[in-house]
Amino acid sequence: MINVPFLLKRVYSVWYRFMKVYTKNIFSNGFEPFVEPIIFLGGIGFGLGGFIKEIEGIPYIQFIGSAVIITTAMFTSAFECAYGTFVRLTFARTYDGIISSPVSVENLLIGEILWAGTKGFFFSLAVLLILLMLRIFSSLRVFFIPFIGFLTGAMFAGISLFVTSFVKTFDHFSFYTSGFLSPMFFFSGTVFSLQQLSLPLRVIAEVLPLTHCIRLSRAIIFSRWENFIFDISYVIIGILLFGFLGINRIKKRLID
Amino acid sequence: MTEVIRIRNLSKSYNNRVVALKKISLSVFGGECYGLLGPNGAGKTTLMKIIYGKAKYFTSFDELSVFGYNPLKEDLKIKCLTGIIPQEDNLDEELSVFENLYIYSKYFGMPKKESEKRIEELLEFMDLKEKWNVKIRQLSGGMKRRLTIARALINKPQLLILDEPTTGLDPQVRHHIWDKIRKLKSEGVTILLTTHYMEEAYQLCDRISIMNLGEKIIEGNPLELIKNNIEKYVLEVSSKLVNRNLKIPESIRKEETEEITKFFSEDYQSLKRLATKFDNSDNLVIRQTNLEDLFLKLTGRKLYD
Repeated sequence: MINVPFLLKRVYSVWYRFMKVYTKNIFSNGFEPFVEPIIFLGGIGFGLGGFIKEIEGIPYIQFIGSAVIITTAMFTSAFECAYGTFVRLTFARTYDGIISSPVSVENLLIGEILWAGTKGFFFSLAVLLILLMLRIFSSLRVFFIPFIGFLTGAMFAGISLFVTSFVKTFDHFSFYTSGFLSPMFFFSGTVFSLQQLSLPLRVIAEVLPLTHCIRLSRAIIFSRWENFIFDISYVIIGILLFGFLGINRIKKRLID
Repeated sequence: MTEVIRIRNLSKSYNNRVVALKKISLSVFGGECYGLLGPNGAGKTTLMKIIYGKAKYFTSFDELSVFGYNPLKEDLKIKCLTGIIPQEDNLDEELSVFENLYIYSKYFGMPKKESEKRIEELLEFMDLKEKWNVKIRQLSGGMKRRLTIARALINKPQLLILDEPTTGLDPQVRHHIWDKIRKLKSEGVTILLTTHYMEEAYQLCDRISIMNLGEKIIEGNPLELIKNNIEKYVLEVSSKLVNRNLKIPESIRKEETEEITKFFSEDYQSLKRLATKFDNSDNLVIRQTNLEDLFLKLTGRKLYD
């Protein structure tokens, strides 16, 4: 008699809500994740690239390029599920509205994680298209990279949800952004090779999630498959683990 | 009559520390309008949240069912049949009126055609038709409230839960919303609401309960409650005019604050006689007691916030 919509339909309806709200102001929303990696690529890649020819046997501009396609996915989804989630959870009470319909907290946050992954996919793709236009890459297999962008987005959505579940005021996020995301950006093999680091620093770099996402990108572009299984396992386990923890902790804030 | 909500001995605390509800029992029947009244912190909102599955932890009860379902486990089924209007509006600010409703209909799995038709009906019903393409930011408080109500009706609910539906609204909007609630009730929708406005409860509710500190202290039809639990008339006088040694008959009950003194009695004439003892008749009034008098009598004058 009562037809609760199917699970996929419920999750999709949440994804659809996020897509609609985001694309409402697509240009202002998309400006930063699209332009920042390009500026970085221009400044560091072309600038420093004049002095550094190759890293790990890869032309420097390609070394940087293969990383910024991924870091844009990280930043866009990490911010979405940090600041964005906090606003939806507290000031705007968007979540309260959604879970007043037949959508559970789990459905809601899985939809949100998938949306963050989708953003990761599209921003990876957008930056990739620029790199192709600039003829930094030419091989067609780079079109697999946005899928790594998706996984990166989904993993950092989970991480951000988990972090946000502890956050009481907006200011707390600076520990996350300046204390975690920004340093990780530099210590995950984005601008320099991890191989030149001392062993303890290399161990730390291996723990950082972004390292694996960037290595997956390079595996695909430059056929460096040595760590592929390890990296992809790390990312998938990361999505499941942080997704699970994040959902459970946010749930405690939504359900009394 | 079907029992839409059945609750027996429901208790709830927050983290096992703050007790929110103490052994509440309550039934709401199909087609009636039931009001929960009480000072802040009485447990009204908590009780509603349990009914639609927004509060689940640290509860104990003998019976708890809504449409025969357990809200702790089958809340999605309950929400398919229910419309929920929260205390604070939570519309999507970036989207238009239509988009808000359309996206909400998706959560219920409604097909596109059906939801477009329903949205048109609802915009008509809540008098928001001209605003269909306006962004939420540009709406007044009253319009937002009406839209929140329209949104809660998207699934043609059999039960409507309203948490302080008219708080902070002007009298025009309030009366508009009351009319709509009456209309829905006449269509057979069961209504559960909380309010701080005694007038609202009096106007809309078939039955109310007054809660205080997590307990239900009284329940019944508003008129009957007044009739059975408080004197029929009250004389209000500025406390400055009341002499400390004033002798009053035993049939009159006195309640005083620094500014106003109230004399309650079943007998109008005896209050009228009492009134002659105060020299300034501009500062006094004799009137029928109302729900607010009863509310204050039962819950006291202590501030709960």
